[in-house]
Amino acid sequence: MIEKKPPFFVGYLGIPKALKGFLLKLSLLIFAGFIAGAVLAGATQDDPGQAGFRFDYGRQTVTGVLETTPYPLLYVTEGNERIKEGRTMMLSGQGKTPIMANLPKLEGKQVKVSGIILKRGELDMLQVAGGNRGIEDLSREGQIPSSEPLGRWELQGEICDGKCLAGAMNPGRGLAHKACANLCLLADIPPVFVSSNPVQGEEFLLVAGPDGGPFPRELYHYVGQFLELEANLERRGDLLVLIVDPDHIKAIK
Amino acid sequence: MDQAQAIFFAFQIWCSIGALIALFFLTIGIDRIDEDAQGAYVFRLLLIPAILLIWPLVLWRWFILETERDAWPNRHRPPRHAHFWVAIALAVFIPVIILVSLSVRQTWPVDFEPQKLSLLEERKS
Repeated sequence: MIEKKPPFFVGYLGIPKALKGFLLKLSLLIFAGFIAGAVLAGATQDDPGQAGFRFDYGRQTVTGVLETTPYPLLYVTEGNERIKEGRTMMLSGQGKTPIMANLPKLEGKQVKVSGIILKRGELDMLQVAGGNRGIEDLSREGQIPSSEPLGRWELQGEICDGKCLAGAMNPGRGLAHKACANLCLLADIPPVFVSSNPVQGEEFLLVAGPDGGPFPRELYHYVGQFLELEANLERRGDLLVLIVDPDHIKAIK
Repeated sequence: MDQAQAIFFAFQIWCSIGALIALFFLTIGIDRIDEDAQGAYVFRLLLIPAILLIWPLVLWRWFILETERDAWPNRHRPPRHAHFWVAIALAVFIPVIILVSLSVRQTWPVDFEPQKLSLLEERKS
């Protein structure tokens, strides 16, 4: 008596008839599983919103007064169609390249800056062009606007780097988002606090350290987390600056 | 010390122990448990990175071979006898891990309105 052997699948041979139904059902199940997994994973993500590099605007060139503390800021004195006079623009280098090295000597001077705009709603930033085209010293002294204290505030929101938030990336969640943001901050890219609701009409606030300088590395742990904090607020140009207080900042549970 | 510093410190400790074990294993141990390694030295440098990371396994295998407890045929048993239970475990644990991570995720404080506490001048006085 010949023993009937069970069907056996070999990839490079034809599919045994007895296995065709099983393989078809399994294939459909796996396919549906991948689609369901993709839909569920996508549903858990936040809508990144509309933001990005505005290459369609072309390179923008404006003149203004440079301030480097806490981060590179340009108080625009001669604007253009896209960047109006009186605007305060945060500046960044290309990618995660720092631009601060040569800037302190230009503090308070008039400069001509060229670059590409990044924009998310009311938040914008100028990615400065590389080399000598980026920032040109006009050898004229300028007037840095005085800051206006706006009091102490209790806020909730998130500290991100202003470049990825403004559209260089789509802000996400978790460790990768936090690591990316911290690498940006190490490259002198201005950090931005995203408030749960507008403060003095602004949703995005430049973040400075407790001494008014750069955001301290000891607080990088808080970047990319939802926070509640108490901090002093001031207005520089048309930009709000949040002076963080290390003793009054914690992650929301 | 924040979380990142703690993780980095733990990693430094782990690799330091691994370096110590690599020193002893590659100069003493490997000659005692593998006769093919005797007289061969250059390749030992290539083992250092792996020993830094998996030094507990190196210690365990060194102990097993040194004490002649190694049942070498077992090492060649097909591993698939465990596949069924591993598949069941993965099917359970992966969704559990995803659900737990989603459940402990922070929620954006959409309803929180910024509160003004005081003016700077008032605070200084």
